Amino acid sequence: MNSFKILLPIIFPLAAGMFIPVFKFKSRRNRNLLIEAVTIINSVFVWMLLLNAPEGALRALNLAGNLEITFHVDGLGSVFAGLISILWPLATLYAFEYMKHHGKDTVFFAFYIMTYGITMGITLAANLMTLYMFYEMLTIVTLPLVMAGMSREAIMAGRKYILYSMGGAAFAFIGFIFIFTYGTSMNFIPGGVLAGASIEGKENLLRAVYVLAVLGFGVKAAIFPFHGWLPSASIAPTPVTALLHAVAVVKAGAFAIIRITYYSFGTDFLKGTFAQYIVMVFAMVTIIYGSARAVKEPHFKRRLAYSTVSNLSYIVFGASLMTPLGLTAALSHMIYHAVIKITLFFCAGAVLIRTHREYVRELDGLGKRMPVTFATFTVGALALIGIPPLPGFISKWNLCTAALAQGTIHAYVGIGVLLVSALLTAVYMLSPVIRAYFPPVDFDKKSVMDFKDPGKCMCLPFVIFVIAMIGLSFCAPQLMSVFDSIASLM
Amino acid sequence: MMNIYVLKDIPILIKTDGLGILFLILTVFTWVMNLIFSIEYMKHDKKRARYYVFFTLTLLSMVGICISGNLITMYIFYEFMSLMSLPLVLHEQSKEAIRAGLKYILYSLAGAFMGLTGFFFVYQYGNSLNFTPGGVIDRAALAGHEGGLYLVTMLVIIGFGSKAGMFPLHGWLPTAHPVAPSPASAFLSGNITKMGLFVIVRYVYYLVGPELLRGTWVQYTFISLTLLTVVMGSMMAYKENQIKKRLAYSTVSQVSYALLGIALMTDFGLTGAILHVVFHSLVKNTLFEVAGAIIHKTGFKNVKDLKDIARKMPITMWCYTLVSLTLVGVPPTSAFLSKWYLAKGALDAKIPVLSYLAPICLIISALLTAGYLLSITLKAFFPGDEYDYPCLEKKEPGLFMLIPMIIMTVFAVGLGIWAGPMINLAGQIAGGVL
Repeated sequence: MNSFKILLPIIFPLAAGMFIPVFKFKSRRNRNLLIEAVTIINSVFVWMLLLNAPEGALRALNLAGNLEITFHVDGLGSVFAGLISILWPLATLYAFEYMKHHGKDTVFFAFYIMTYGITMGITLAANLMTLYMFYEMLTIVTLPLVMAGMSREAIMAGRKYILYSMGGAAFAFIGFIFIFTYGTSMNFIPGGVLAGASIEGKENLLRAVYVLAVLGFGVKAAIFPFHGWLPSASIAPTPVTALLHAVAVVKAGAFAIIRITYYSFGTDFLKGTFAQYIVMVFAMVTIIYGSARAVKEPHFKRRLAYSTVSNLSYIVFGASLMTPLGLTAALSHMIYHAVIKITLFFCAGAVLIRTHREYVRELDGLGKRMPVTFATFTVGALALIGIPPLPGFISKWNLCTAALAQGTIHAYVGIGVLLVSALLTAVYMLSPVIRAYFPPVDFDKKSVMDFKDPGKCMCLPFVIFVIAMIGLSFCAPQLMSVFDSIASLM
Repeated sequence: MMNIYVLKDIPILIKTDGLGILFLILTVFTWVMNLIFSIEYMKHDKKRARYYVFFTLTLLSMVGICISGNLITMYIFYEFMSLMSLPLVLHEQSKEAIRAGLKYILYSLAGAFMGLTGFFFVYQYGNSLNFTPGGVIDRAALAGHEGGLYLVTMLVIIGFGSKAGMFPLHGWLPTAHPVAPSPASAFLSGNITKMGLFVIVRYVYYLVGPELLRGTWVQYTFISLTLLTVVMGSMMAYKENQIKKRLAYSTVSQVSYALLGIALMTDFGLTGAILHVVFHSLVKNTLFEVAGAIIHKTGFKNVKDLKDIARKMPITMWCYTLVSLTLVGVPPTSAFLSKWYLAKGALDAKIPVLSYLAPICLIISALLTAGYLLSITLKAFFPGDEYDYPCLEKKEPGLFMLIPMIIMTVFAVGLGIWAGPMINLAGQIAGGVL
């Protein structure tokens, strides 16, 4: 029964989230302490699980016939789970201060915690059925978070979000059915489950289904032209945009794509076929499109959202190389982009909550007034551009060397795409930095006099993230060898 | 010694060699000169603390470039240098300066990212990323991918050539150099441009190896681009009226002299390139300091205002005249030597047409250089008949500004007259890789 501890990180936050709105708390402080305790305890559960991972899979539920809900701990899942478990407590800490003046924040936090459990379900899912179930649940449980503002705009964004996501999941469902019918097993097996006589003559059909499934999961990973919900959803409170729309939800999409590519359909089956090239082209188009839109976007948070669109496709591009090196590169960008983008969103949120300024052109001269925020933002911006030795450079290096080693024309074009996108990243990330620190001489100094850095709850994550970014780049070799060992199973 | 790894198999490596040390000494020397100059120039500037911080950080990153032992280490310091020198360009915070700053950083990053393709390529087909005279490319692995190598080498040359002001990515230089405070412009023009050149030398001579590139379209294109830049820069400088802008265009032209020497891939060519780097750096730092002194003391920014300035600032204008003659290449001053070596290197290279075109371009450009530099001297010393002499007021800057100018002038002129050791040194470095 040792393997039941695998369920703990999923069920504990779900239960906690359900009960929190029931209690009456004496003070906001007590409630916050409880919420923070829940997330930290759950992260401890996750790490206990990851550090001595149980062998084999746990069959939790049998729905019908072969449809089983099973969980396991494997390399790929642990990487995502580890990432989530570190970011969640920090984001919660940040959210306390951010949501202070928000009316219904208890409900907000209830859903925020429940999302933690659902995301864990995705990371620990051992078969496509489980993944699909939690994927759908993730859409539903995050909907109230997107609509937390309850303005007309927020409700429209929520509606857009749910329609896009459900529609995407329907496409993914097609892939699920085909794997169910033709696969030798429902479970995720490194190298894929398609083999044998049953698929003979149906290869191209299956490949087409793969493309559909990727595009379906690609809705959450914001692949062009299905990215529309993400910039609209930046209307949500910043803790949501930062944690969910830069990490948990969107990376769940990328994670699912990696799962079906490497563990269901299998790279041997897909490599060198039209399926691979179509996915690569979608990824490349999205990379450029996202960056270009980010350059054009004057709204600070939406600019970051478009940047997320672009960066998610870096991960998809890495995955679509379908080589161990490509997977390593995709994983490294998954981790690095998560840390970088959550930091950038936090900074944008801090500016928003302190100054109520939403547009990049309004950032003039804020650098001196909010030193911690903008110092953090600058480090994050440089990391995202890929200035060595900050982490963005390492994932860019990994992606490009993997593409060069793969050696097809598509991959070569991909290198060019990545570098053009890096330049566009420089354009859209450096202009806020320059505005904040080097405002034109004639700007009105009095207009920014009253602003200052946010409080401790928000600044602490800033400092931690900056240290994490620098730390991550210097322990990159160790991290990469972990990823390599995961990728070498393929 | 513990190695710090950023990428899985490539440590941060610090290693020095003759070329690196030469650039290092040159950089630190001119930096100190500019620092002394800044003390007086920046005295009344409210934001001088920020200026000094970034001026120093720029130096540190350049030192890093000079002493790095592999490509990644150098790239880290290179990006760091671009970013740390950005606040120098932005210093005035006028609309113009901010626009120039953005232009500067984007050109630099665009160039660096273009160059990065070459790094991936060397990583894939090379034995290591450490700088080794003669190159690290594994010929067996490369077989069949030569076309790719030529392409990425061209990208590296154009990309890092942007820092060196080489056509087609030279556009930022005449915009960005003049808006910085004068000592910073001096350092940008005299030294930071040389770092782009340094990276190209490292890539071409220490990673790819000249044997692979000699006689290919890459070499021919490289030479053609430098020749174009040499002539074009001089012509632009000739018709420019603002003093600092004129000097910036002159930098575009002069750094490409040195790039030409690199592109020739002959012993004499490389020697000439190294000599020209040293001489031009000294001269251009002095010229920008003179321009700074004039702006600081009189506020004049245009060439036409400089009539009779030599009576007001005699020492400054004498320094100006001497280094101008040096840059034009009047024997026995220094740039004469470097141009001689470059021309001889071009003839040695035995490339059809280009071998003969190169000396011609050098001579045309030298004439233009005389035209755009010495016309200021003429105006300053000989204002002409119709000039109405006002009563004389001394505008000579203080010692902090004069001393660095004088020292660098002495070096620029003296290194040409007693050139033996310098030529030996450059020859040794060139002989080491060819």
